[in-house]
Amino acid sequence: MTTLTTKTQLLEDAGYAYSFDREIYVNRKARKVFSLDFVEDHTEDVLAAKLGEPVPSTGKWHFYFNSAPSPGVERELSAILG
Amino acid sequence: MAERTPEDRLREEYFVLLPVVRRVMEELEAEVRHCLLPLSSKLHKHERLVVTSRVKDCESALGALRRRQEGATFDSDKTDSYTLTSLNDLAGVRVLAFPRSRRIEADFDFRQRFKSWASDPVPADDGGEEPLAFKYHGFCAASTMIRGELQIAPMLVGLFWDVEHSTVYKPSPELKGVGKTPEMRRRRSEVLTALKAFENEFERLVRLARSAE
Repeated sequence: MTTLTTKTQLLEDAGYAYSFDREIYVNRKARKVFSLDFVEDHTEDVLAAKLGEPVPSTGKWHFYFNSAPSPGVERELSAILG
Repeated sequence: MAERTPEDRLREEYFVLLPVVRRVMEELEAEVRHCLLPLSSKLHKHERLVVTSRVKDCESALGALRRRQEGATFDSDKTDSYTLTSLNDLAGVRVLAFPRSRRIEADFDFRQRFKSWASDPVPADDGGEEPLAFKYHGFCAASTMIRGELQIAPMLVGLFWDVEHSTVYKPSPELKGVGKTPEMRRRRSEVLTALKAFENEFERLVRLARSAE
C-alpha cells in the first residue's frame, strides 16, 4: 500500500485526478491518462519517466495502459474526457 | 437509429438470464443450509451461523464486468464479445460465522460438499496465511451457464462490510472517492485488525474457561 500511496502522490503532485468510475488518472492540461493497472504494475521510476514524457500538442489524449487501448476504447474515453 | 452499446446488450442479457440466476441462488442457498445443518444444531448460545443470499443487480453486474477491462471501458467495436455469464457472482450465498472455529468447521464441510468448485479466497490485509474470507465458485445442478458464488466470512467482518459497502464500493455521488483515500484504507485495515484481535481474544478466553471446568 505504501508504494501505491507514493505513486498516487507522484500523480497528484503532477496534477492528475483519479476517476473512480473509470479507474484512471487524468490530467486534462497534459491530456494524458494512466490506467490504475499501469500505475500498479510499474515502478515509481517508470511512472515518473512517463509523467515527464513530452507529448505532441495535437489535442489528442495519450493513454498509458498495460495493453494499448483499442480504437473503440480510445474513442469512448476521449468522448467522456472531452 | 442509434447503435446499441455494449451496455444496452448486456442489460438485455441480464434480464434474459435473471430467472436462471434466481434458480441458481435458490438451489445454492438450499444446499448450503442443508450442508450446515449438523453444525448449526450443535452451536453454543454465543455462536452464530447466518446464511444470506442475493442476486447481483443489473447495474452492479455491468459495472463489475466493465471494471474487468483496463480503463473500465467497454470497446463499442466488440459489443458481442462481452457476456455476464463470465461473472462468478451473479448468484451469491454468504455465510457469516462467529467465532473463528465455527467458520473453519463450516469451510471444511463446504470443501467436502463443493469439491469441484474453484477457490478464490479474499486475502487478508495483514499478509497472514489465513484469508480474510473463504470464497468458492462453480456450477450447481440448476445451470451449466451461470456460476454460483459461496462466501464464508467472519461475522464481525461481514457486518462491517455491510456498512463499508455503501461507503467504499457503492457510495452516493457526493461520497464517491472518500472511502478509497489512503487514509480511509489505513483506517479500514485497522478496523479489520481490531475485529480479528477481538475474535482471537474471545476464543482464547473461551478455551481457558472450558479448560478450567
